[in-house]
Amino acid sequence: MKFDKEQLQMVLALFVVAVIAATLLGLTDIFTRGPIAAAEKEALHSALAQVLPAHANDAQADMFVIGREKQALSIYPGKDKAGRLNGFAWEVTAPDGYAGSIRILVGLYPDGKIHAIRVTGHKETPGLGDGIVNNAGWLAAFAGQELDSRNWKVKKDGGDFDQFTGATITPRAVVKAVKGALAFFASKRELMLAAVAEEKEQP
Amino acid sequence: MTKSEVFFDGFWHNNAIFAQLLGMCPLLGVTTSAGNGFWMGAATVLVLLGSNLVVSLVRGVIPKNVRIPAYITIIAAFVTIVGMAMNAWMHEMYLVLGLFIPLIVVNCAILGRAEAFASKNSISDSLVDALAVGSGFTFALVLLGGVRELFGQGAIFGITVFGDSYPDMLMFILPPGAFIALGFILAGVNLINRKLKARAQQQAQMVQMQTVQTEAVEAHS
Repeated sequence: MKFDKEQLQMVLALFVVAVIAATLLGLTDIFTRGPIAAAEKEALHSALAQVLPAHANDAQADMFVIGREKQALSIYPGKDKAGRLNGFAWEVTAPDGYAGSIRILVGLYPDGKIHAIRVTGHKETPGLGDGIVNNAGWLAAFAGQELDSRNWKVKKDGGDFDQFTGATITPRAVVKAVKGALAFFASKRELMLAAVAEEKEQP
Repeated sequence: MTKSEVFFDGFWHNNAIFAQLLGMCPLLGVTTSAGNGFWMGAATVLVLLGSNLVVSLVRGVIPKNVRIPAYITIIAAFVTIVGMAMNAWMHEMYLVLGLFIPLIVVNCAILGRAEAFASKNSISDSLVDALAVGSGFTFALVLLGGVRELFGQGAIFGITVFGDSYPDMLMFILPPGAFIALGFILAGVNLINRKLKARAQQQAQMVQMQTVQTEAVEAHS
């Protein structure tokens, strides 16, 4: 195939532009990778501080994984000053939010009661569905509850949790996901406690 | 055109929002509060500065047939860079605006400036133009975000204005509120423009009358 001069110029111009753009992006990635990881760690740290009972350890450093491959789940244990386990936190995903999935950090006491939950990622409608982030009263309704202490549905579905004016789907998804987390904990409690105990033995 | 003419043209007469109605997607999407509007505007200013600078630098070098893909590549690179920087150093804001940052690529206001201005003008003029159009866009975003936040939540930049008893008008936070508020703002802008035009005409008439008078006096003497 033969190119005339004009075509070669076009190809060359686009090639040069693409190479320069790619170089700039690569450089930016090098410079921002560290700060982005640090910022994400910091964000997780402050979220963990909210959902775990008062703890003295670095929950991120003590993180352990249960399950394998696709089922793998990172669990953040909280420990008091004496090193005794006093809480678990992990992230669950509600796939059925109004606009995509909702990520929720759930914090439990070792006996399976909820300490607190926080939404860490969502795309719900501002002013409607985002009450799951900034409606403190609604979030507080989860504190101290366990799997059997509540009917884990929104009131519209006959349950114990408020929906929001104009937004039922979002809180429904969150309540369902938190219930799922509690059920998960009930079935994996022994495993988690064993994992923490094991970690203690091999410092 | 002088630099101040370039600036005023980009900021007001050719304002991306008020005059051209470009960039509606980020406008309506992020302006639920004045703060969101401001940071979205700031990100857009950075992208505009970068893209106008580079496009002006390579003007005459890029063959005409491939200029649009070349401009888009340049713009997309700067958008990604701004997004990464925001993720690194303004993580919380990135979590709020992150969804809309990549969409700056398809903000016609930016490609429009590359095509209509930067590809034909000097580097310094292009930078002034980027600042003007960018700050005009930011001004529009903050204004709309401010109106929606004020009526929707009774606050400005997160500071409560109307007191706790204010019944939040949810509609202003939702998309219809964006359109309604934008409509009223556009009406206000048109009113200001009409007044400006009338005053300019009046002044022109006065000048004309004065010249006629002087001419008459001169002819008389």
